[in-house]
Amino acid sequence: MTSTTTELKVSAFLAYKFIAKGNRGTSALTILIMALAFVNLMFTTSVFDGMGDATEKQVIDTLYSNIVIEPKDEEIYIENPDSVVKKIINVPGVIGTSAQYVTGATIAYEEQSGAWSIRAVDPADERTVSTVPDMMIEGEYLSRSDTREIIIGKEIAGGHGGSLEHTSLGGVVVGDTVEVAFTNGVRREYRVKGIFDTNFIQSNQLAYVTEKELESVLGIHDMASQILVKTDTKGEEDRFPNQFVELGVHEDIKPWIVYAGIVATLTQSFDALNALTGAIGFFVAGVTIFIVIYVSTVSKRRQMGILRAIGIKESIIVRSYIFQAVFYAVCGCIAGLVIMFAILVPYFIKHPMVFPMGNVTLLIEQKAAITRSAGLIISAAIAGFLPSWRAVRETILDAIWGD
Amino acid sequence: MMGRDAQDTIIATRNLSRTYTIGKVQVQALKNVTLDIRRGEFAAIMGKSGSGKSTLLHQLGLLDTPTEGEIMIDGIEISGLSEAARTRFRLEKFGYVFQEYAILPELTALENVYLPAMALGLSQGECTRNGMDALEKVGLTERADHRPREMSGGEQQRVAIARALINKPKILFADEPTANLDSASSKQILELFRGLNRDLGQTILMVTHELEDADIVDQVIWLADGEVVGREG
Repeated sequence: MTSTTTELKVSAFLAYKFIAKGNRGTSALTILIMALAFVNLMFTTSVFDGMGDATEKQVIDTLYSNIVIEPKDEEIYIENPDSVVKKIINVPGVIGTSAQYVTGATIAYEEQSGAWSIRAVDPADERTVSTVPDMMIEGEYLSRSDTREIIIGKEIAGGHGGSLEHTSLGGVVVGDTVEVAFTNGVRREYRVKGIFDTNFIQSNQLAYVTEKELESVLGIHDMASQILVKTDTKGEEDRFPNQFVELGVHEDIKPWIVYAGIVATLTQSFDALNALTGAIGFFVAGVTIFIVIYVSTVSKRRQMGILRAIGIKESIIVRSYIFQAVFYAVCGCIAGLVIMFAILVPYFIKHPMVFPMGNVTLLIEQKAAITRSAGLIISAAIAGFLPSWRAVRETILDAIWGD
Repeated sequence: MMGRDAQDTIIATRNLSRTYTIGKVQVQALKNVTLDIRRGEFAAIMGKSGSGKSTLLHQLGLLDTPTEGEIMIDGIEISGLSEAARTRFRLEKFGYVFQEYAILPELTALENVYLPAMALGLSQGECTRNGMDALEKVGLTERADHRPREMSGGEQQRVAIARALINKPKILFADEPTANLDSASSKQILELFRGLNRDLGQTILMVTHELEDADIVDQVIWLADGEVVGREG
């Protein structure tokens, strides 16, 4: 057996005995504190990840789907969008498309008015890329043949407890008539057919009419401002643009993330907050382990002196304390994960946090769990090393017979 | 070599001194100690409290470093050894029995005994076998799986002796090993030492302040004020 293997074996043996045959109450309390430190590290990260995930999901489900095909820079519309759709609809992974017009308009109701974005869609196609049709809180969604009917988000309608009540139309209900002034000067009255609530402040500021209706307003036909493409998995959007180009799509093809400035801003802010709370969390966990090991080394000072006297190397003793600290940290991480998955995650699924981007639950990313666990274990190892290393610095005689 | 056969000498000191600095005061605990201990000898260091008995034992047992002088152990001048080498030396060549029982409360008797063997790199099987052999020498095989709190003071001290014997040391150092024991246990421990010395030829150097212990040892080194003031045997 090599010297290093022997030392590791003796260190592990001592650590195991100190933990297994030592004070179980102290061990249990230390593991509990480590678990809480881990939960503290993971909780804020999980909330931020949950907010990011909720935002991404909302952006994809209610605003841009996974991929957006837009006209080239110099063009206003995509001509003959059906031909584009035909090229891409059979690409593996593509599960829906919706060619649509997007225009600005002023919507007025009684004394209230405001400028919002109106999308003109084929209702059947829209259902394949968006969840807005399923989010009606009053009335119903559009039908393909609808003219002079409009559906609006709750932030436009007002009266539904939105965040932008002061800029809304002040309480429009289904059946009311609103006047829409388009950018080309056309003004039309529309019956409000439905009001939707996506739980997302940005998509709740949209209004929808049928494609047929807006074409009659704009006096154009067989065009589109954008084609939204739904894919079967999130996060793999980058593999589609090249395939689309190879199939002869010459328009601009962009993944949803390009349009989601809010997500990037949130992510950057969350990363900074995560780094700060993480550093504090690691420090607190490290200090906790330091105190536990320090108290242990003080109470075992004489014992450590005797071990050294009988020829047990200092490195074996120090390593045995590092092993104990790492054991506590590993158990703390496991207990922390159990607390997260068995208690906190189910609780927040049942009672989600309400944010402007929607209902947020805890999202435990594997990467975050691994990095936080590794960080906690490294902190514990350092905190286990310092007091034991300090303790073996004193002379054997001082350790055994000192004050 | 002070009239003794160099081949037989296992411990030799020349002009050994140890001075401690306590605040601004210097205390000379040992003064020019020169002595020889023969291989297989059972020797006692005796003297009044504060005479330097334990200080001398600590120098010879490599638990402390002398201020001046030389120490030869088994023909090796040990003053030039690094700290790591001294640790290895203690593990391989020395056994220690302290006044307090000094065994780990978390370990069983057998585990306490074989810990130094484990540190020497012996396999688990060898550790257990040698550990049981050592416990047999001190008459405690039936207590192998007991933890210290389940044993009497005398039994714990015998476990400490078994631990000291596990690596077949050249020298067994004992620092007032019976000071905390009742008279029956003390007698048992001294008889054990005598038997180990007689039957196995184990060299033993023991610090004691019990005058009657002089009767069972081969040599007594008397210390007073840090100096050797007499030798018997």
